[in-house]
This record gives sequence, structure tokens and C-alpha cells, in this order.
Amino acid sequence: MSLLKLESLQVSIGPVQAVRDVSLSLAPGECRALVGESGCGKSVTAMSLLSLMPAAAKTNALRWEFAGRDMRQLSERDWRQLRGNEIAMIFQNPMTALDPTQTIGSQIAEPLRIHKGLSKREALNKAIALLERLAIANPAQRAGQYPFEFSGGMLQRAMIAMAVVCEPQLLIADEPTTALDVTVQAEVLSILRELRESSGTAMLFITHDLGVVAEIADSVSVMYAGQTIETGSLADVFSREAHPYTQALKRAVPNMSNPQPLQAIGGTPPDLRHPPTGCGFAARCSERMAICDHLPPSFACDANGKHESRCWLWHPEHPARWREAEQ
Amino acid sequence: MLTFIAKRLLSGVITIWFIATATFFAMHAVPGDPLTQEKAMSPVVRAQLEARYGLDKPLIEQYQLFLSNMLHGDFGISFTQENRKVNDIIREHFPISAILGITAVLIALVGGVSAGTVAAYYRNRWPDRMVMVAVIAAISVPGFVIAGLAQLTIVAMNNAAGKTLLPVAGWGGVSHIWVPALVLGLGTMAYLSRIMRASMLEVLSADYNMAAKAKGVHGWRLFWHHQLRNAVLPVVTELGPTIAGVTTGGFVVELIFAIPGLGRYFVQAVQQLDYTVIMGTTVFYGAFLVLVVVVVDISYGLIDPRIRLHSGGGGR
Amino acid sequence: MDLSVFRFARRTWASDELEHIAPLPLPKMATPAVVVSTLVVIALLLFVSVGPLLWRQDPSQQWLSQISAGPSAPHSVRLIRDSGPWQPPAGDAPQTLTVHAANTEFVRLQWPKLEGVKRYRVYRASAHKAGLGLAIAETDKAYYQDQLQLSYQIYRYTIADADTGFLLLARDVRPEAAMSLFEAQLQGLLPVDKVSGRQQWLDLPGHPLGTDALGRDMLARLMAGGRTSLFVGVVAPLLYITFGCIFGAIAGLAGGWVDQLAMRFVDFVVALPFLLFMILFRVAFGIGPGENGITPLIVAMLMLSWPGSARLIRGQVLALRSQPFVEAAKLAGVGTSRTILRHMLPNVLPMILVAFSFAIPQAIFTEAFLSFIGMGVSPPTTSWGALCNDGIKTLLSHPRQLLLPALFISISVLAFNLLGDALRDATDRRAGVVKA
Repeated sequence: MSLLKLESLQVSIGPVQAVRDVSLSLAPGECRALVGESGCGKSVTAMSLLSLMPAAAKTNALRWEFAGRDMRQLSERDWRQLRGNEIAMIFQNPMTALDPTQTIGSQIAEPLRIHKGLSKREALNKAIALLERLAIANPAQRAGQYPFEFSGGMLQRAMIAMAVVCEPQLLIADEPTTALDVTVQAEVLSILRELRESSGTAMLFITHDLGVVAEIADSVSVMYAGQTIETGSLADVFSREAHPYTQALKRAVPNMSNPQPLQAIGGTPPDLRHPPTGCGFAARCSERMAICDHLPPSFACDANGKHESRCWLWHPEHPARWREAEQ
Repeated sequence: MLTFIAKRLLSGVITIWFIATATFFAMHAVPGDPLTQEKAMSPVVRAQLEARYGLDKPLIEQYQLFLSNMLHGDFGISFTQENRKVNDIIREHFPISAILGITAVLIALVGGVSAGTVAAYYRNRWPDRMVMVAVIAAISVPGFVIAGLAQLTIVAMNNAAGKTLLPVAGWGGVSHIWVPALVLGLGTMAYLSRIMRASMLEVLSADYNMAAKAKGVHGWRLFWHHQLRNAVLPVVTELGPTIAGVTTGGFVVELIFAIPGLGRYFVQAVQQLDYTVIMGTTVFYGAFLVLVVVVVDISYGLIDPRIRLHSGGGGR
Repeated sequence: MDLSVFRFARRTWASDELEHIAPLPLPKMATPAVVVSTLVVIALLLFVSVGPLLWRQDPSQQWLSQISAGPSAPHSVRLIRDSGPWQPPAGDAPQTLTVHAANTEFVRLQWPKLEGVKRYRVYRASAHKAGLGLAIAETDKAYYQDQLQLSYQIYRYTIADADTGFLLLARDVRPEAAMSLFEAQLQGLLPVDKVSGRQQWLDLPGHPLGTDALGRDMLARLMAGGRTSLFVGVVAPLLYITFGCIFGAIAGLAGGWVDQLAMRFVDFVVALPFLLFMILFRVAFGIGPGENGITPLIVAMLMLSWPGSARLIRGQVLALRSQPFVEAAKLAGVGTSRTILRHMLPNVLPMILVAFSFAIPQAIFTEAFLSFIGMGVSPPTTSWGALCNDGIKTLLSHPRQLLLPALFISISVLAFNLLGDALRDATDRRAGVVKA
């Protein structure tokens, strides 16, 4: 029984096919990392999951279920009741994602007032209690202050408080640590981990930082050019990486235990206004084959049926698989 | 916050002094004086008059006298209208200008903010285009032309209706206020709606707007708490200079609509070289505008917490 | 099993095989609005410069017979010599209301004497309006010469009994266009000393845009007025922006207390209520007899408008001073003047241009406003604002006299504003600022 089941999500914004084929599934309480370089469609995916795309965007999916509901059928009214209540979001830059003219306390209390119908006083008390749980000193006084009076780390904690105050079933964290100092990053990660353990909220953790992924995620999906190209458990994707892009990505990350010269991935991602007909990564791939240019690969599962990779190398009829089967 | 207000007030007082000084010396640089315009005048009479207005004293002494009188709130007696105090003239005519100006600013503010918001919400669609075309038209057509056109329209309307729907000119009842105030506020409204559109567009694409939506905030609450309050800030900063523009723009509207306001009086005084009235009204207007700017600055602080709490920073 | 699709095709990527990413199209400089407004500006400049060469009417010449007349083509008018008291030729009285002569100098009427009527009253009305119109005369004779401000239109004359008010006779009359010899000589259309006695007709130029309330050609006046308006609109900003730039640059470059003092002064000048002091200064500089009032106007604008550009330039200079490339130039031993000329000026110049293009419509507006309230240029020099001032007096009867100069002001302000917008967008783009 999965909490979120998303198959073949497509989002186009004007001429740009920002998301071409994204499939995700999350079990209750699971933390899945969505990894990819900037511009690959991670944030668009996150925004689509809350139906917060601009009016010009067109969204389409083969299957899109959340807590047993078909999300494609939801009206805007249903969505409003869902946002901040059942699905909440933590934004990348806490400096700009908090309203500069409202106090921190009232911003945290706002979802409670909208969704739980609490009075101003009750909501504010709950917000203060939450700030205290998130280790903010003087929470009552802090709640009356404005965003510009907070430091970056505290702002992100306030942002997290704002997201979790209604105890959502799914928390989408869009690069919550990217804009922060390294020391503050660790702090924010540990808060998120604690929250997950205490409340059992499922989390979709979007990042491009593989180090952060290793610390927090149970499972990983890798995105490239608007597609999920590899999906599996943390161990599968990190130690048995199947897609050439994931392999290249790993080679680009410093490794303390086995120092090697870092290798950048050559070339640039395709222009998503005119996505290639074949595999999106073919132009940069070191394993490129004739078919890669012409046909998009489909997911192929490896032995345990959970680790999937969208690459022709893993097609059952590829000579390597053939040989494996013979052995 | 108190330091902030005190600083603003102090700089306001210095500015008023600067305005008074500039006015005084500008007026005394004028070739000829109101007395030479009078018909042949015997030297005795002339000397008497000069003594009465203090024109016989050296310039510095006149200046000191002017400043000290001004401190006591006394602007002297009119040159051309004998025995009429400048204070009385201001007291009588300024309220009319003020009512007109306040109505105009309110119309401009409400109209500008709503038009700008609508334009931003419907960006690049027909409501936006309509607003922008209207804005460009209102900015490009001089106020006196708009006033003239408004009069023509009223006349045509009255003719078509066969009775007086709206008075063409003059001052009196509530019906006399609307058209001149609208004409006066139109340029400002256009200017404000342009600013409002830009700032609302910025707010609409801001992260905190998205974050508020992601919390489930919607409709009126989203607009009032998160969008309007942020978007209106640049408009409020522009309000001070705007009020200055509206007050002085009032001259023309008062002339064309035959409204007995201070602006019309000022133009008349300048044409007649009425020293004391010119100096009095200029200093009064200057002081009024400085006060308005200070009040706007302080109210800006009330809306924007960043300024309110950074009082030590010495303002903007 | 055909496995050819899996034939290994390893090739390392090469630059020429990469997806060619088309750069996002930058907003083009030559948008229709820019092209149109540039053309409009050129047309306006031609209108005021070449226009008077092609349209050689004197803008201050009054055509007394054509006051507030509508547009007209060149035409001939009858030359009238005998405009004095008139009596109908002796002979039989006419049977009905008879017109002996009808032109714009006089209309001569005669009607039969009627029994029992002692005094006649003559009414005149425009033929297209209902009613009797104006009672222009009462007479006991049976004839009348009307010389009262006739214009080129159809009139209806009505004769009534002055005592009882009974209407007796009526007739429509179309006066012929005419001009008296005296007026023609007065206006220099005919030589005063020798006039050919046989000349019956006089050729008059047309007025494509009509005439104003004093009978002056509107087209010629618009050209002359545009000259003043555009001159003030360009020269005043040129002067005060130059002054402001020098002031701001000195303050920014000097820094320290000089900068502080200079900027306090700027604050005070900014605080002066602009139009009030424009009027005040304009009066203070005064204009002697025979002066056109343009110089005091420009000086007053110069004194009040420079602080904007001074602030702009000072801010830019301060920002540039701490820019790496300027510091690098300093470290490399480049002299101060060279730093300013080669490294700072090219970076500030676009901003100055933008400020200038926005200052032009502002100055045109200010001039129009001042001239409108009679504090601008002084007659006979005219400007679009002064023309509006003339026009507002006849607004209700002849709105054209206000609307024409207003149209020119609006068009030029609009064109310069659009150009300024485009220029600003272009410099913003250069500086990497993305507009929302």
C-alpha cells in the first residue's frame, strides 16, 4: 500500500516540456530523495504535486494517486484543502519564502487557522509550542518577530514549522538545505530526521547534493532531462548504480575513502523545447549505442524487481543480460 | 521608532527654513516691485507705503523680520488687497484646495491600486492591455487638456439630458468636487497603477506567495495578507511626491474649473507681484508638503516592519 | 534473434554533435512601438524645422475676416472698395425682400414698404439654427446694410414689425467671401500706394487647420509653437542633466565631507515644491520688453531639475569606484582622469541617456504647464502650451483650438516616453537586469 503513486507525469510550460516522464511512489513514512542537476524538472515535479503550476502549464499523468484518491480528478477547492494540510512543502530559500510583512508566529499559525479552524490565540500557542520543539530559544518572543530578524537557519526552521504544523502525510522538501551554510545544513537535516521519526511523515526530498541524500533518504530516484532514469533503494542506487548518468554523477562527487580525480560530465542537457527522440542522455553518454539515438528506453528491472533503470543497457535482450542469463 | 520620527521632523524643519530663504531671496531678486506698478505716486506716499511693508530697511533686516514673523505664524499683509492678512487668505482658500487634493489623492490611490492589481492578475491579457493603454494615454495628455475635455463632456452630457446633471465649473456642493478631483487625480492614478502593476507582478512571482499558496491560503486572505500588503509598499513610498504633484497640479484645475482655492490665488498673486502673498503661500505650501512627506515616511514605517524596527538606521 | 540495435556505438561526445541549444530570443530593440515612436519624433522635428519653410504663412498675421474659421483651401475673395453708408438706388420698391449685395463685408437688403408699419426690426440667424437669432437693427426705412461680423456661411434674415413683433418677410442669404481694400492694405496684401483700380479679386491662402480666435493660421502657429516647445524640451534637460552629472560626479569622486555636504544640498533642492518654485524663479528672472521668456524658463528649470541626475550619477560613481575593474585599473597605475574617461564614463553613459530621454517629455510638460498658466513664453513667441492657453478660452465654441496643440503635446510626450522605455530596457539588459 503506497501513499503516493505517480506514473508518467508530464508537465509542459508553454513550449518547454519541463517534465516528460516522471514516475514516483512513496510508502507511508518513507523518505525518497529526488536527485538531479538543476533544470532537470525536479522543482516542477514538486510544484505539480501540489498543483501549484502557473495557468499556462499543462499537466498530465497516467496514474496519480495520493492516499487512495485519484488526484487527477480533484477540483481546485479540494486542492486548497489538501495543500498545507495533507501535503506540505518546504521551500528552497527561506529568506524569500517567508512573507516579509507578517510575523513568524502568524505565518506558522496560518495553516492551523485555515485547515483546523483554530482561533488566533490557539493557533499561535500551537505555533509557539512547535517552535520550541524545533529548538528555537524564546519561542513566544520570537513568534512576534518578522522574518528579517531571523538568521538563515532559524528561518528554515520556521519554514519547516510552517510546513509540519498541520501534521501532513506527505512533506515535499525542495532543496531545503541548498541555500544554507554547511553547519546549518546539518542542523536542518537532523531536525527533519527527528520529525520523520516522531511523526512518521513521508517525505519527498529534492536535492542535487548526493551527500545529503546518503544521510536522510531510504530510497532514491534520479532525474535527468525531465525523466526519472533510475529508481531504487539507497543502497541500490548508490552502490549498484545502473544508469550511465548515475555512474557519471557519482564520479563527479568527491570520495574521501577512495580519492580519485573528479570527472565532470561533458556536454549540456538537451533543450527541453525540442527534446531528443531517443534517450535524453545519449548525447553525453559514454556507453551510447545505435538504438539510443532513436528510441527512448523503458524501465528495466534488475533481479530484485525494485531497482529500475531507464537504459538500453538493462534491456533483457542486451548481450550483457543475455550472457548473465546463460551463466 | 521615536528617533526615526525625531530625525525626520528635524530635517523637515531645516527644509522649511531652506524653502523660506529661497523664497525670500527669489522674491527680492524680482525686477521691480508692486509699488512701482501703481500709478504715479508721490514720494511721500511711497515712503509711507515702503515703511508699512518694511521695504525701506536693509535686506538682511527684512530677512530677519520675515523669519521671525514666520516663526510666529504671521505672513504679513497683502500688497494688492489692502488690509487683508495673508493668514486670512490662506485660512479661507486652503481648505478648498485641501478638500480637492485629498479627494484626488484618494481617487488616485484607490483607482491606481485596483487598476494595477487587475493588470498584474491578467498580465498580457486584455484587461492588462486596456489598463496599460489608459495609463499611457493619461500620462501623455497634459492635465489642462483633460480638464478641458472633461468640461466639454459635462456640457455635452448636460445638453443631452436637457438639465444640469453636473455643474461645469464653480464650487459649492459635493457635485462640484468629483469631476475636478478625478481630473486632478488621473495622471497620478496612471502613475500609481504602473508602479502597482510592477510590484504586484513581483509579488505574484515571489517565493512567499507560492509558499502561502502551498499552505492552502487562498482567495481574499491570500490577497489581503500576503499580496496587497507587500505590493503596496512601493506605492506608499511614491505617495509623498505624488501629493506634492497633486497640490501643485491643482493650480490648473482650480483655474479651469473656477474653484476659489489657494492655487488659483497663488497664480493671481504671482501675476500681480503680490510679495507677501507669494511668500506666504509658497512657504505655507512648502511646509505642508514637507509635513506630508514626513507623515508618509512614518506611515511607511508602520506598514513595513523592516523600517519600523530599524529606527536607529536613520531612515532611508 | 536480431541484435543489431544493440550494436555498440560508443563515441565520445564531441562539441559538434551536441544538441544545439538555440539561445533564448532576447526582446528585440526594434519593436513596433519603438519604430513608430522614432518615426514620430523625426516627423515632429521635420514639422517644426522644415515645416515653416514649406508653409510660409506668418504665424502672427491676423486674418480678421476669418476669425475662428474652420479648415479652408486657398480661395479668392472679392475686393470691396465702397464700404460706407448705403442707400438703395432710386426706383421702384421691390416686391419682396431683395438682396442687393451679399459678401462678408456687407449684406445690403431692401424690402417693400408696408402699410401701417412704422419701424422695422431686422433679425439675423445662422440658417441651420432654428429661431430668429440676433436682432441686429431697428429702422424706419425699408432697407438696411448689415456690416456686423459677417462670416462665410448662410444667414437667414427676418424682417419684423418693431412695434407689434409680427414677422413680415424672411430670406436666406449666402454672403460671398470678400475683403475690404483697407484691410487688404493693412495686412500688406496689396501695396498701399498704387492699387490697380481694376482689380476685383484677391487671392487668399488657405488654412488647412483653420484659424484661431484672433484669425491666425493654426498650422503656422503649431509649427512656430512646436519649435519653442521642442527647443525647451531638449535644451533644458541637456543643460540640467549635464550640470547634475558634473555635480554628482564631483561629489561621488571627492567623497568624504564634500560628498556629504553636496548631498544635503541636493536633498534641500529636491524638497522645494517644483512647480511653485518654477513659477517663482521664472518671475524672479523676469522678462524685459521684447524678450521671449525662453531663457528664464530654461534657467529656472536648470536650477530646480538637476538634483535627480546628480543623485543618479553620484550613486553610480560610488558603485563603480568599488567595482573590481576600476580598482584593477587603479592598481595598474592608470591615472584618475583616464580611469574616469575610459572606465567609468562608458558605464554611466547609457544611464545618462535614459535619464535624458525621460527628461524630454517632462520638460515639454513643464513648459506647456507654465505657458498655459501664462508664466511661460511671452507673446508674440508662442509654444504648444501657450496655444492651449489661447484655445481654452474658446473651448466650448471651437474645441479644435485647444485640441490641436494638445494633440501635438501628447504625441510628442508619448513618443519620447516610448523611446525612453525602450532605451531603458536595452540598458537594463546590458547590465544583466531582468525585468519582471
